Amino acid sequence: MTALLILFATAIAVLFAGLTKNRQFLQPIALAGSLMALGATAYDLLGGNPNPWNDMYASMFQFTPFALAFSGVTLLSTVLIIGLSGWGFRNLNETLGDNYGLILFSLCGALCMFSFTNMTMLFLGIEILSIPLYVLAGSQRDNLSGNEAALKYFLMGAFATGILLFGIALVYGATASFDLETIASAIGDGRHSAGMLNAGILLIIIGLSFKVSAVPFHFWAPDVYTGSPNLVTAFMATVVKTAGFAAFYRLFSIGFAPAEDFWSLPITAIAALTMTVANVTAIFQTDFKRMMAYSSISHAGYLLLAVLAIGTTGSDRALLFYTLTYSLATICAFGAYIAVSEPNNDGSFSAFNGLSKKQPLLAAVLAIAMLSLAGIPPTTGFFGKYFLFTAAFAKYPWLIVLAVINSAISIYYYFKIIIAMYFTREENDYVVSIPSGVRWVVLAGLLLIALLTFIPGSVYALI
Amino acid sequence: MSLLLILIPLISSVFLLLARPGAVRTIALVTTLANFAVSAFACMGFVGDGSFNHEFRLPWLAEAGITFRLGMDGVSLLMVLLTNLLAPLIVLSSYGKNFDNEPRYYGLVMLMLAALNGVFMALDGLVFYIFYELALIPIYFICAIWGGQDRIRTTLKFFIYTFVGSLFMLVSLLYVYLQTSLPAGTLAEAGATMHSFAWEDLVQVQLAPGAANWVITGFFLAFAVKMPVFPFHTWQPDTYTAAPTGGTMLLSGIMLKMGIYGLIRWMVPLAPEAMHTMAPVFILLAVIGIVYASIIAVKQSDLKRLIAYSSIAHVGLIAAGAMAWNKAGMQGSLIQMLNHGINVVGLFFIADLIERRLGTRTLADMGGIAKSAPKFATLFMIIMLGSVAVPLTNGFPGEFLLLNGVWNYNMWLGIVSGLTIIFGAVYMLRAYGLAVFGEANEATARFEDVSTREFVVLGVIAALVMVLGFFPGMVLNLTDGSVNRILGAVQF
Repeated sequence: MTALLILFATAIAVLFAGLTKNRQFLQPIALAGSLMALGATAYDLLGGNPNPWNDMYASMFQFTPFALAFSGVTLLSTVLIIGLSGWGFRNLNETLGDNYGLILFSLCGALCMFSFTNMTMLFLGIEILSIPLYVLAGSQRDNLSGNEAALKYFLMGAFATGILLFGIALVYGATASFDLETIASAIGDGRHSAGMLNAGILLIIIGLSFKVSAVPFHFWAPDVYTGSPNLVTAFMATVVKTAGFAAFYRLFSIGFAPAEDFWSLPITAIAALTMTVANVTAIFQTDFKRMMAYSSISHAGYLLLAVLAIGTTGSDRALLFYTLTYSLATICAFGAYIAVSEPNNDGSFSAFNGLSKKQPLLAAVLAIAMLSLAGIPPTTGFFGKYFLFTAAFAKYPWLIVLAVINSAISIYYYFKIIIAMYFTREENDYVVSIPSGVRWVVLAGLLLIALLTFIPGSVYALI
Repeated sequence: MSLLLILIPLISSVFLLLARPGAVRTIALVTTLANFAVSAFACMGFVGDGSFNHEFRLPWLAEAGITFRLGMDGVSLLMVLLTNLLAPLIVLSSYGKNFDNEPRYYGLVMLMLAALNGVFMALDGLVFYIFYELALIPIYFICAIWGGQDRIRTTLKFFIYTFVGSLFMLVSLLYVYLQTSLPAGTLAEAGATMHSFAWEDLVQVQLAPGAANWVITGFFLAFAVKMPVFPFHTWQPDTYTAAPTGGTMLLSGIMLKMGIYGLIRWMVPLAPEAMHTMAPVFILLAVIGIVYASIIAVKQSDLKRLIAYSSIAHVGLIAAGAMAWNKAGMQGSLIQMLNHGINVVGLFFIADLIERRLGTRTLADMGGIAKSAPKFATLFMIIMLGSVAVPLTNGFPGEFLLLNGVWNYNMWLGIVSGLTIIFGAVYMLRAYGLAVFGEANEATARFEDVSTREFVVLGVIAALVMVLGFFPGMVLNLTDGSVNRILGAVQF
């Protein structure tokens, strides 16, 4: 709760500071605010605050360790993304303040999605998260594909919201409550109308699948990811995805757990489809950002395994660990991508040719990020996959075999980058320099990846 | 002690990867020699009753039952010795080449060394898996950066092939892991049972027959690709040919032993229930591989490819002997892993020396080297005879025991496997004859004899060929206790 208040205050402060001429203060303010929020979350999580204001707003927020840990993941991602922004947002002079403000407002929505105990709050959280993003996606006003991305994102998002809302209404109709605990006990007691409940759950699954871009509700994602400004894409791929899955998990583990027999089948199908379709499509991409879009869809498929594993000890931890490693690797990758593609205006794989000779550090970081996304030991991505797969293995062994085959397919496209950087002998004459923001962020990301490799227990034991 | 074997090359690798070009070769050589000294030191005070010596434990992820645990019984010690014995030779043999990014090359070799030592000493399922995969990353980079023609496509095929194989192993490991149950310790929630990746706990699991078949298939896929066993061998000749010689030596000398070691340490002990039904299939595949690869080797005109195919044949026999799961077969496979590692590294070095001097690997372009380079021809002959398994060379006791083991398992398979000796003699003598004897051509007449450094490498290998041929007992005694213990504990 403290973190939420700090973020909100910082967002407003940045918005007003953006009206003045002193733009150089915007990034430090946003960074300081999100770092303070991160500190407050860590303080709460480690037990410093015995009663973290859980009784406010009729207890519709509960900042449980689960919520705090996921807040930590998204706050950390945001800190790193804001760290990159001195470079990545440099073209957005007039609207810089708005950009930071919108990112922080969006993050407030994510925090609501981690802590809701009531479906009203879930809905509000999703909307608070999404609306700033529609604006951010189109924040480069003179960029045609950016406008397309924003419009597409807005239309699809609004559509999904409608479906989600309808689902929530049906569940309310079936169980007479918005409160997760009450819904669960109503389902458990059999005091509900089964048909209406199932229809509601199905619509909620579809709505959330739109939000987390799971197949077959993913069509908006590649265009939106490609068209949006790079850092906004990084934000969507990390914070938004984490928030979507944490909310998914929370809703189904508390509210709909007794109805597992019904929802496990559609989610299994979505998970299997998501992994396979996204991985196979990613093979054919030639543009880094589009490849990352499909990669992020395929990770959504793996993350659904955590939802399926609800009820198994450690499924929440697996989700936490996976989202953290995935976010770190993605942000590192985007940092390197921004440094390579923006000055040279080329985002294809061949833009990375010979990067290992020009910028060994950047190449090494990007290579490690790719290995981690592919889940190759000993990078943290492996541990993320390992925890997820172990959690779901007992219930869904064949789905895990499919997931394993898919991780093998993913090597092919992640390694294209490594091949371009290290093995390709055709050079390009691109100049790649590392701005200091990028350097610090990728080094911090690398350090965290290394730490998670050697002491995976540190995060795993948080919740 | 166990930890040192991993830490020394690991630290050296980090240092080399960050270093500027300079005395990197010396650093690499000193590292490998230090590591060899440590592994030799580990032999002293070694208790050969099959228990794990020099154990090292560090809780890694206690909640999930994962411990960073290393230790060596006779089998592991033999593999560690092989690894650290070959490493200085491999480094020395790369000396004569000029790489365009030397520190990185040696840094990756050192990383590879750390991972290989880890594979052979790991006593925790997940730690084994991680080292098994870790070994793949440096060798992939070595082959793809410094390799020859068509390196990118070939090495990506190699990487995906082996990675897919090991992922199936991961699934099998996970399955067995989830069947273990330990009383909940202080760390777990009350009432919950804990799982464990410790080797002893995994071995104790009783699998249902159906599940055991799947589990063993997962393991077999991983190890069969690595060795490689027919029909999973298609990546091997291309990769061996495209890789730089140092990489080929690492792959053939040490890395393929990971597969056979995995059979003995992990596959059969974890799922002995399935061996009754699956072992005949596996052994049959191995024997088919022996004959198939031998026939192709006879037809090869490229020296490096010939050695690559001969390696498939030899490894097929080793795998068949190990899976026959009797004393002779297992002892034979262990001693032959050591011998094959030594011989194949020698042969690849010879092929590389010829290629460096003549610029070709085609047998038809050679001939008459014996006149211009007598020392070279002699050393080549000794190593070649070891590979053919002539009595009193190191290949003989190994092949003898292996054939004995396969024969005990099934007479007909033993007879067919015996063809390996005949075929081996045919293709090795043919290659030797074409390369060394006959009329010299313009290039081979000016063939320089071995330099001092090359002489040291080949001399050490030739000496090992003879010493191990005269005194195979040294190796057999080292592993005897462990083999008895493994065979006693795991029966089917």
